[in-house]
Formats: sequence, C-alpha cells, structure tokens
Amino acid sequence: MDISLTPEQLALRDEIRGYMDALMTPALRDELSGEQREGGGPQYRLALRKMGADGWIRRSWPEAYGGRDTGPVEQYIFSDEVIRAGFPYPFLTTDGVGPVLAEVASPTIRDAVVEPILRGECIVAIGYSEPGAGTDLASLSTRAEKRGDKWVINGQKIWTSFGHVADYVWLAARTDPDAPKKHHGISMFLVPTSAQGFSFTPINTLGVRTNATYYQDIELDAAYQVGPLNGGWKMITDQLNRERLSLVNHGPCELLFEQVAAWAANTDAAEGGRVIDLPWVRHNLARVKSGLEVLRLVCFKQAWSMSQAELGMAQASAAKIYGSEFFVETWRLLLEILGQPGAIKAGSEGALLKGALEHRYRSGSVLTFGGGTNEVQRDIVAAAGLLMPRYR
Amino acid sequence: MDFSINEDQQAVVQLAGQILQGEVTADYLHAVEAQGQRFDPRLWQKLAEAGLLGVSIDEAHGGMGFDFEALCLLIEEAGKTLPPVPLIPVLTAAMTLQQYAAAEQRERWLPGIAAGNLLVTTALSEPASDDPCTPSAGLQASGEGWLLFGCKHMVVAADQADAMLLSARFGNELVLLAVATTAVGISVVAQEVTTGEPQFTVTFDSVRVSRSDIIARGADAHCALESLVQHTLVASACMTLGVTETMLRLTAGYTAEREQFGRPIATFQAVSHRAADAFIDVENLRLACQQAASLLSKQSDATQAVMIAKIWASDVAHRVSQSSQHLHGGIGVDRDYPLFRYCLWAKQLELTLGGGNAYLMRLGDAIAQEFTRRAAKPLLDSNAA
Repeated sequence: MDISLTPEQLALRDEIRGYMDALMTPALRDELSGEQREGGGPQYRLALRKMGADGWIRRSWPEAYGGRDTGPVEQYIFSDEVIRAGFPYPFLTTDGVGPVLAEVASPTIRDAVVEPILRGECIVAIGYSEPGAGTDLASLSTRAEKRGDKWVINGQKIWTSFGHVADYVWLAARTDPDAPKKHHGISMFLVPTSAQGFSFTPINTLGVRTNATYYQDIELDAAYQVGPLNGGWKMITDQLNRERLSLVNHGPCELLFEQVAAWAANTDAAEGGRVIDLPWVRHNLARVKSGLEVLRLVCFKQAWSMSQAELGMAQASAAKIYGSEFFVETWRLLLEILGQPGAIKAGSEGALLKGALEHRYRSGSVLTFGGGTNEVQRDIVAAAGLLMPRYR
Repeated sequence: MDFSINEDQQAVVQLAGQILQGEVTADYLHAVEAQGQRFDPRLWQKLAEAGLLGVSIDEAHGGMGFDFEALCLLIEEAGKTLPPVPLIPVLTAAMTLQQYAAAEQRERWLPGIAAGNLLVTTALSEPASDDPCTPSAGLQASGEGWLLFGCKHMVVAADQADAMLLSARFGNELVLLAVATTAVGISVVAQEVTTGEPQFTVTFDSVRVSRSDIIARGADAHCALESLVQHTLVASACMTLGVTETMLRLTAGYTAEREQFGRPIATFQAVSHRAADAFIDVENLRLACQQAASLLSKQSDATQAVMIAKIWASDVAHRVSQSSQHLHGGIGVDRDYPLFRYCLWAKQLELTLGGGNAYLMRLGDAIAQEFTRRAAKPLLDSNAA
C-alpha cells in the first residue's frame, strides 16, 4: 500500500496548477465574479477553447480521439486542480455526455459534436429533471413522438444548468408511454438549443443561476435520438454514477481551509494574539483538517478503484454522502472563524477572502440533494454495502 | 498510488482470521469470562507457532519480517474476534525494541517474543498522565546503576509479562527502559476495566536498574517513545476498525431478520439510513488507518495522519457502538448476544491514550504552528489578505 502520489502524478498536478494559474487571467476572473459566474461568457469561451487547443480536454480520452487515455487517478488530479482554480469547467459535457456520444451516436452526430467538444467549442447541458420528476426521475413526462422520419419533442425541464449558454441539451424523453415499467419507455436525445421551439427562463437560486427549459414542437432528425430506443434509463444512471464521483472533489475545500488558516495566522484577535491562537479556532481548523484528509483519501480511493475496475456502488454513494455533508459542515466551521465579516459579499467593502465563503455556503447546500439525493444514496449504501433488504 | 494489500499481508489476514475465527468463538469467550484469568496461554502459543507474534520482527530474530501494515491487519482481525491475549502492547513493544534497542538487547528479547515464551508489555500511562514523554517516574543514580521509583497504571498483562517497556526521568533526561517484572521492589495490583481486559497498577519502589535495561536516553528516548505511542495509537485505531466492522455486520444481519409491523426492520429507512451512516464511518476510518499505517511503515512523517486516525477511531467507535446497540434494541445489550463485548471494547479503545477531542486540540495546535510559521514569511497568496 502506498497512498501517495507518484513523482509523475505530482508533476502533473504542478503542471496543471501552473497552467490554470496562467489561464485564469484578470479578465476571466472578473467575468466569473459577476453575472456570468457559472461560465459561458466570452472570456470563458476563449479559455475553454484554449484548453481544447492545448489538448487538456481530450487528454483523458482514448488515443483514437487524440487523447492519452490517462487513468482515473490522473483525471481526478486534473479535475481537482481545475475546480480548485475556480474555473467552471464543463465536466458533464467533456466527461459525462461526450464519451457516450463518441460511443453510441451516429457518425453524423459524432462528427458534428464530439470533435467540437474536444476543441472546447461545444457545451452540452443536462435535461433530466422536470417539475414533476426529480428524485423519481423515471416518472418524467417530456414526450418525443415519431412523426414520419422526424421526432417531435414537447415538454419542460428544470434545473438545466448551462442551459442558457449551451449548444445542446442532453434530453431524456418518454418515447413509449405504454411501457409496462416507466423506466423502460425513456430515450435520449441531443437537442440543439438553436432549434425552433427551444426556450429558457432563468432560475436564480440561493447560490447559482440555473434555468427552466421549454421544448415546444421541436422537430429533430432521427440521428438526434442517441443510443437504444427506449433504452435511455441505463444511459442516465451510468452517467449519474460517473457524475457522482466528480461532485465531491477535495481541492476547493483544501484551498479555502488553507486560506482561512493563513488569514487567522495573520489577523489580530480582539482578545490579543492572532485569531489562530484562540482554542476554538484551532478546534474548528482541526475538525476541518481531519475530515478533509479523509475526503482526499475517499476521492483518491475511488479514482484508484476505477483504475482497477472495481468501484462498488456503495462506495460511490458513500463518497457522495460524506463529501456533500462534510462541505456543508466545513463552510460553517470556516465561516465561524471569519466571524461576522464572513457574511460580507464578494466585491463589497470589508469582504474577507473575496467573499468566497459567503458564496460557498449559499451554493453548498445543493449537493446534498443534487446529483441523486442523499436519502436515495443511503438506500443504496444499505442495500449494496450492507445487503439490507429494501421495502417494495 | 496503490491501495491494495500485498500477498504477504493477505497471507497474514488469512492466517490470523483462520486461527482467531476458529478459536475465539462465543462459547469460548463465555468460558474465558467465567474464569478468573483473562489470558489464554494456549492461544498465545498457537499464534506464536503460526509466526504471528513475530509478524513485524526481523527474520534474523525469528520473525516474519513484515511491515507495520501487516501488523495492523492482524490487529484488525483481533478487533473482529476479541481474543484474550495482549497483542497490541507486545507487538508494538517488539517494534520499538527492534528499532531502538542495542544488538544484545534485541537478541535478548525479540526471538523470545516471536516464539511466544517471552512476554514484553508496554507501560505508557501514569495515573496523572497518558503521555510517556512526560513521566513522573524517576531514576536515581546508585552505584553502577540506578534505582527506579514511580507508578504506571492500566498496564496490560503485567501479571503475565516478563518485562515492560516504560519511561522515567533521570534528572532532566528522558529514559526508555525494559524492566524485568521479577525485579525486587515491583508490586502489581489488578485493575478491573470496562472490557475485563487484565490491566494492572505497577508500583516501582527502589527497583534496581542496570545499564543493560536502558533502551534509549535523551533525544533517542523521546523518538522511541513518540514512535511507540504512534504505533500504539494506530494499532488501536485498527482494532477499532475490526470492532466497528463487526458491530455493523451484526447490525445489518439482525435488522434484516428481525420483523416488526410485519416486515424486516431493515426495510424502514430510519433504520437502514442509520446503518448506512455507520457504514460510511467505518469505511472512512479504514482509510484514515491505512494512511497512518502506510506512512509509519515507510517511516515518513505521520504525525498528523496518526492524530487524524485517532480522532476518527474515537468518534467512529462511539457512534457505531451507539447505533448498533440502538438498532438491535434489547438484544444488543443482552450478554448472551455477542454485541456487548464489541461495545465495551469500542469505549476502551476510544479512551486509550486519551479521547478524540484531546487529539483534535493537538492537531489544531499543529495546524496553528504550521500557519504561524508560514505567516512569519511574506504572504504569497494575495487572496488571503
């Protein structure tokens, strides 16, 4: 057993850290600190294209796509550094939907979409959830009907993040309303956001902007239906399982822990000494550190297990539960150290750490229910990890 | 990066599991608990014959020559079965002797420990302190040697031991010694602890100590004792892992069988979710243990990793124990059902060398030191302003 990064992995980490540092120009940081925090602005598009041109997006892809087929541990290092740098990288496009399209889409779609994704020129949003279908996703009611050789799509999706800037929506729609089990009548579509009948309205959440997206009599050629007809459910769950792993990276948490500890070591306490000399501050920092170290191990163990092709469902769900709930606790413990000024927003007079924690705590809560709510994850842990029977 | 267990380590797990699962049955433990002596010399000998007492002792001294990770896996198996033998103190004493003792001292103790005919325990705690680097016990010069005065307590298997590793002060100097239990001036009084493990108060009154009993002095003694404490903490965390894994397995099994309101209680989410949380706790503890054991095996700096393993072990011991008892209901506290032993061990291990919050404070101090040192230099990160 050797739970440390190899010299090559450390060098890769440093290389990406240096690269991202240069990529995050003042203009890009400025754009990402305002209305376009979630990405999609002109500076963001430029940076993403640069990452594509420099080969970073295709790096983890097979050699057939010009990639280097890097392993899951290297890919984790990459994603961790990118998130740590504060760049809203479109992982769902590059590592979620992209590989599926490369594998099962028709040659036309593949040529039109996969190469642009790898060049950093194409963003795909996810269209799964609906107002009436969240945790119980299989009850979705967006319809796709075959009329002649066209598909016609009608319905509404919600929480379509990136939907206002994306080139496509990866859409789950019901193609067989009469299927005996509701999971069996769902198919996947790639909907161009330029299609007639597509529209969106913003949803401003506590932390980030997302969208409701509307699909009204959208006509699509047959090639835009991707994968087996009525076989969409497995594609969705496979993608969600992959996504689950990328939700709880340790990097951003580590960065904020270090920033708060450095702030506390440099800031005078009203009681005398520095803030970091206060026993309760040390206690908070130690709680974050002891949890963070295990989160780092959980993430690397997941990546390593994937490289051994043995990742268990219980472990993936356990990581998602632990990570998302640890984040919530961490933002609280770190904000306590900043104290009252921790509530000052980014850009305002007196904001600490550029308001990063004020924003983090607001956006942090979504992870406990997003990407598969933690109650369902606990069901999975009990069933797959402890072989406990489930209620039917 | 490699989380796998190598072949030698797998062999240790298999061998230990086979002996311990075979020998340490519920009936056996009931019989042991009914008698006065909670030490089984026959089982001790069996473990020695299998080579397990020498798991981390050099082959040159009659051991298997495996690393500390292998020792930890053996201890985890002991956590699953709770055999009435003092594995943690003896095996960590052997590691300390191997690394810090002189050649003739190693020759004197290690082959005997591996063979099971010499039992060397550790006496780390005093009534007023769990830290062997700040002992009250003291040495006075006397002729060619020294006289030892003082008191150690909660010494495991002191009644069976041939010798014990302990620390004392000689003036301002810290000294690590191996004291033979047959020496004149030693008195041993039994202490009844929560698990029933045989522990003792050992008092030293003018006990003669010779040069050959001294393992290390000064800075060397400090290193040796810190290392002994670290290995003890991590081995205890690994035993906690075995204990909590077993409690969890019992809980999952019991709730899947037990029916109320016409269905297995495991099918209530209030039950299964609490068990799922315990599963996450145990898996996280496993990683914290593996990290600390791996760093100690490589003799890398493990200071923070050991504290983190201890913090997790203490929290997880408590949480999983309470969840397991609760989810079992009455059967969980019935001494005819095996769960209670694991609950008792969970608490004893949680408190061994201090509780989790004591280590949380130490970790906080270490973090503060690290960042205060960095702050003394110009700030590199403008974000921190």
